[in-house]
This record gives sequence, C-alpha cells and structure tokens, in this order.
Amino acid sequence: MSLTDLMSMAKPNLESRQKILDKLGGRDLVNCFQCIRCTSGCTALKLLELKPHEIEKLVNLGFVDELAASDIIWTCVTCLKCVQRCPQKASPYHAIMALRNLAVEREAKVPEEFMKAISRVLETGIAEGFQDVVSRKMETYDRKSLQLPKVFPPKESFQAVFLKALEER
Amino acid sequence: MTRIGVYVCHCGLNIAGTVDVEKVTEHAKSLPDVAIAKHYTYMCSDPGQRMIQDDIKKHKLDRIVIATCSPRMHEETFRKAVAEAGLNPYLVEIVNLREHVSWPHAHEPNKATEKAKALVRMGVARVRLLESLKKRKVSVEKNVLVVGGGIAGIQSSLDLANAGFKVYLVEKAPSIGGRMAQLDKTFPTLDCSACILTPKMVDVGKHPNITLLTNSEVLGIKGFVGNYEVSVLKKPRYVDETRCVGCELCTQVCPVKVPDRFNENMSQTRAVSIYSSHAVPKVAIVDPQQCLRLKTRKKEVCGKCVQTCEAKAIDFEQQPETVQLKVGGIVIAVGSEVFDASQMPEFGYGRFPNVISNIEFERISDASGPTGGKILSPKSGQPPKSIVFVQCVGVRDKRFHEYCCRVGCMVSLKQAILVREKNGENVDIYVCYNDLRSFGKGYEEFYRRARDLDINFVAGIPSDIRVNPDGSLFFDVYERGTNKLLEMHADLVVLANGLVPSTDLAKINELFHASRSADGFLLEAHPKLRPLECSTAGIFLAGACQGPKDIPDTVAQASGAAAKAVDLLSSGEIELEPLKAVVDKDLCSGCRLCESLCPFVAIEMKKEGEASRAEVVEAMCQGCGLCSAACPTGAIKIQQYGSNQVLAQVQAACVETAGGS
Repeated sequence: MSLTDLMSMAKPNLESRQKILDKLGGRDLVNCFQCIRCTSGCTALKLLELKPHEIEKLVNLGFVDELAASDIIWTCVTCLKCVQRCPQKASPYHAIMALRNLAVEREAKVPEEFMKAISRVLETGIAEGFQDVVSRKMETYDRKSLQLPKVFPPKESFQAVFLKALEER
Repeated sequence: MTRIGVYVCHCGLNIAGTVDVEKVTEHAKSLPDVAIAKHYTYMCSDPGQRMIQDDIKKHKLDRIVIATCSPRMHEETFRKAVAEAGLNPYLVEIVNLREHVSWPHAHEPNKATEKAKALVRMGVARVRLLESLKKRKVSVEKNVLVVGGGIAGIQSSLDLANAGFKVYLVEKAPSIGGRMAQLDKTFPTLDCSACILTPKMVDVGKHPNITLLTNSEVLGIKGFVGNYEVSVLKKPRYVDETRCVGCELCTQVCPVKVPDRFNENMSQTRAVSIYSSHAVPKVAIVDPQQCLRLKTRKKEVCGKCVQTCEAKAIDFEQQPETVQLKVGGIVIAVGSEVFDASQMPEFGYGRFPNVISNIEFERISDASGPTGGKILSPKSGQPPKSIVFVQCVGVRDKRFHEYCCRVGCMVSLKQAILVREKNGENVDIYVCYNDLRSFGKGYEEFYRRARDLDINFVAGIPSDIRVNPDGSLFFDVYERGTNKLLEMHADLVVLANGLVPSTDLAKINELFHASRSADGFLLEAHPKLRPLECSTAGIFLAGACQGPKDIPDTVAQASGAAAKAVDLLSSGEIELEPLKAVVDKDLCSGCRLCESLCPFVAIEMKKEGEASRAEVVEAMCQGCGLCSAACPTGAIKIQQYGSNQVLAQVQAACVETAGGS
C-alpha cells in the first residue's frame, strides 16, 4: 500500500472501504470534494466535535478500520442537514450509518444509549420512552390524565421478527 | 472669439456620488470664453451626445471640454459625436473626473470637488490652444506574417488564408505542430491530440495561400502598421525539400545517435532524421552539430545518407538564406515553455529517474513515444503500482512564477485518467493539490469522472521527495481534509510543471517592440477590451505567448487575432492618428538623441547638405512623447502637446481660487 497515516501508523483497508461503498449502494461518496458544508452545519459538531468531512475523506482514502472502532461515528444526531445540503450528493450521513453497521458487525462497543433504545423498542415498540409533560403552572401530566389513548406494547410476533433481524446482523 | 462648451458627466453615481457636479459646472461658467456649461447623468449616452451636438449648432461652439471618465474609454466616442456636428474632432479635450478624481478620492468629497474644478479649469485653458488636425490614410499590404507554428499559429494562418490573405508562417523547429503535437490525449474529451491536430497541419502544408518557412527565424523588422518589411533567416536543412519523400532510409543508415528532442530526450534518433511521425513538412533534416561530415567539414567523411537516398535529396552544400517579406500585419504565436523542475531540488527532478515532468508523461503515454504508449517507471521499466501527481510546480510560487498556470490541474486529471484506463485497477493514483481548478466547459464533469475512477485527491503538497535504494519514492504530506500526516510511497511521481514564458520572448520583445507584463508573457493592449492586440499597431497576439492557456482558449484567441488582422487590412487602407511628433528643422541640431530613444524606431536622420536632421516616419510614430521630452533644443513636439498647450494647463492649475488653490 502506498499510504501510511504517520500518527497511528495505520494503512488504508480497501476491502473495508469497498464494504462501505457496497452498503451505500452507489459510489456517490467518492465525489466529495471537501467543500466542508457538512461540517459547517453539523448539529453534532458543536457539542460532540463530529467532523463529517473528515469522515468522508478518511473513508475515501481507505482509513475505515480506525473509524469503525471509534466513538465519533455514534455522535451523529441524524438531523440529515448534510444530506440536504451536500452539492455532490455524497452526504456523510449515509457513510456514518454504514460505518455504524460495520462497527456492529465487528462487535465493536456500541454506546449504552443505543442498546437501551433497542430494548425500549422491544418492550414498547418506540425508541424513546413516554415522558410526562409539565404545564406553565408546573403541574405534571401523564398520558392518562390528558385522556390520551393507552399505548399497547408490541405483539410477540413483532418481537420475534425484530430479534431475528438483530441476529441476522 | 473662442466659444467653449463644458460638459460635466455624472457617470451615474460614479462621479456625482463624490464630486459636486453642480459646483463644478458653476465654476466652469465663470471661466473666460466659456459660452455654456452643463451637467448630465450619462454624457456618453445617445441623449448626452445629442445635447453636445445641438449646442454646437445652436450656440456656435468651436471648442468642447468634456469632464467624464478616462479618455481611453470614450475619447473616440466624443470625437465622433463632435465631428458629426461639423466640428474638427481634435478640438475636444477630455477631463478625467472618474479615474483621476471620484474613484481615488471617494472618501474626501470636498477636496475631490476642488480637484475637479482645477482639472476643468486646466482643460478649458488647454482646449483654447488646440489645433484642427486631420487623419491620414495609407495603403496596406494584404499579407500577414505569423510567427510560430503551434496550434495558435496554425489556426491563425488557416483563418487568414481562408479569408483570402497571403500568409507567411515562420516556425523555428523543423516541423509545425508545437507543443500540441507532443501531447497524447486532450482534456476534457480525451480525443487524441494527433487526430485533431494532424489534419490542420496538413491543411497548412497544402493551402495555396500559406507559405511555410520551417527551420527559420525572424531576423529583423522595419516599417509600420500595414507596411512591415520582415527579413527571415531560413537555416539550411541540408536536405532538398522539393526532393525528399520522407522515406526515412537515411535515418536508418546514419551512424550518429542523438537525443530525440520531440520525445523530450527520452529516446534517441539519428543526426539525420524526420522531426516526428506527423511532421509537416515531412522532410528530413541534418543536425549540423552532430553530423560527422558537417562537424569535420571534410567531404570524404561518412556520407552514408547520400549513398542511400534514392531521391538524391541530401545536399551538404545548402547555405543559410535570408527571405524578405512585405506584410501588413503580424500575428505573434510563439507559445510558452514548460517549467524546468530541476530548479526545485526538493522534488529531485533530474536526480531521481522516477520523478518525471508532465510533458515527459505525455511522451511516455503517446503511442509514438519512447515506450510505445505503455506507462512504465523509467528506472525499473515496470508498470508502476502507485503514481502520485504533484500540482503547482514552479507556479503559484513566488520563488519562480506567481501566476496560476491554468492547465496543470486539468493536465494531471487527464493523465491520472489515462493511467487508470491503461494500467487498470492495480495502480494507486493520488493527486496532491493546493486548489483543484476545473473552470472550463466540461472540466468540472471531467474532475468528477476522475473521482469516479478512484483517483484519490490529497489536499496538500509534499515539502520534499525522497528516494529508496530501488528507485521508488516516498514523502510525507499533511492532508488538510483529514488533519493527518500521511506517508506516501510511489513508483512514479509526475510533476505538474506550469507553463512559463518562452526564452524567445526576450528576442520577440526586441524585434517587434512587444512589451511584456510582470509575469514575463507578452502584454496585450488592454487586459479586457483589447486582449488580442499588442500596443504596437498591426501586431496581434495569439495563444500562450500572451499568458498560459489550454488548447480551447488558444484556438479561440488565434481565431480572434486572425479576425483582428482581417479587420485591419481588409479595406486595403488604414487611417493614422494625427497625434504624432513633428520636427522643427530650423531648431534640430542633428544630435540623434531622439533617434536612439524612440521605442518605435520612428525617427530617421535625413542628410541636408553637411548636417543631418531628424525626420519622423509618421506611420510608425505612436505619439509617446519620449523624443519631445528629451530634445535639448525643443525641436520636436507632439501635436496638441506642445509647450504652449501644456504650460497653459500648468498656469491654470496654479491659479488661486476662492475655495483653495
């Protein structure tokens, strides 16, 4: 290989790069010309230092392994601004999702919150749990006091399908 | 009694936004001999011009001052307008209130208004003393000299020849074709350079209106626009052009091996050879520095080519020949050179065989080149596993050339695509760049095509290139996009050397009085409005001699320059500006100072009995005034810029006024 990252001594992994491209179902990613619009508007940048253009370029050069093992790919808040604004249709969001998939395949450590969300889906059918709301007079209301219909947990057949899908991953 | 009309232009808000035009107009009205003073939004517009014309008739005006933009912009416009109203067009004085007042003094409107008043006052003082002048007509030669036989010269020659003009095309190499003939494929369409160029070269060779003078150089030039006399040195080929059939039998028997210039010295040819496989004219040439017989000057030496040549074309008795041409216009199309990267030791060009220039890559990639079109590392002779292109070599670099070479990015993109097409998936291709500039029609799409072919772009240029014992190369690059320091290994590094001014331009500058801009290229008469002309009348610029250019731009400029030459010469006569130097023979002492100073060689010394007197060749004089300023006896003056006319302005400038001085 003709490239070495002198900071980590990592070499590009073209197979992993190809896997990412396959997952994206197209080669739009290679069209990134680093206008850095994605990072300029990234919601996660301000709090979590996610730099989508760096991820895009690293995948393009083949430095995929380090990324798939990193925490940074889990910080994307999926606001999809980068998908909307990318001038080359090379949105890093899809690359980040593909990297997450690759990380799970490789049994990398997935942040706890993501695991919690999965169990919530299993139990309740939705990713975020129900929260009580607070009025201006600081009175708390739950669904029942607001006379909202009761939400039933998913049927066992859904859970079976969901678990099977997870296993296949 | 002189009756002067003063017209102050607002130029929208360009002038009126800073200068108080009403105050200036009022001031003009107070000046002696001013019959009328007016201001208007756009003096150059149709109603503006009509206002002046109507006033000339109605108020019997005989002198006009127009306070407006630079005379370079609209002097001609107003002269025409005034002439239509029956006044001599040279009785108009332009006062520059825009470039000289409102633009530079935008932050100090009061002082600007005072300056505007002073300039108008000076204009009025001067206009009173102007003389009526008349344009003179001279007839012109309907022949054109084209210097340089690259794609620019070829295009200009063909356009002119097709328009019915007789063209002399002078080329210093043994064949026309220039740089473009050396290229493999051309961006952004990847059509092969030879396929689109060779037919044009053949057309030039066959055209009845084109006289082709290859292996020739311009020696000297005399005369003036429409009537140039040019002498051209036709160097001996030692081969009779009328007899040689281009069979190359002589090359096969010649024992002297010499580096092949057409292949950038990467292969060898013989002392007698044909310049390239597509050469026009396809005639052999003997290299007098290498040929054994010509080197030793002995008739009995070698002579193998003479024995082999069936057409009996080899002629060692040929002598240099000087050809005299009479032409009306000249198109300069001498092109540019490629930067010599050995001036940058950090990249190892010239020391490391696997570091090559982009023009050498073209020869390697070309089917008629030294490797038969196979892309191989020069050291190992094997196809490279990784290739790196390094951009902006010798250009965008204040140590060498500050400008952008405008072709390097596209050339490297094209070459990278050619590597991918020829050597397949098993080669890593990287382009190290500053900014990738793909600005032309179809260029951005071409850049996208390169990215689609897995050509990697690394935002950063290496500081230096180092070599391994096996000849492969390695270097560090800090990549801006990823903020990583990368180490790169390459079997072949191609340097994107920029286009630089040709060394011939110094000679061109001297011969044709064609000025050069700060970047070293030839200077056009105006960067926006007269890009095809030289400041010397009758001389036109085409192609990369005026600034670095790609093929589409070169061809466009070449056709434009040809059209300009047609425009100048088609009527068979031209009008000459009367603002020239004139000599007072009684005052001239014959010191010849003016003759040595004149940049246009417009002064000749004429014998008058014992003494000689300066005489101005009116058609060559450009009215620059150098002679007038230098003349120790005040014998030469420029029409309309005599001492009385200039001093009147100075006096008007020094008059004390209520608002200041």
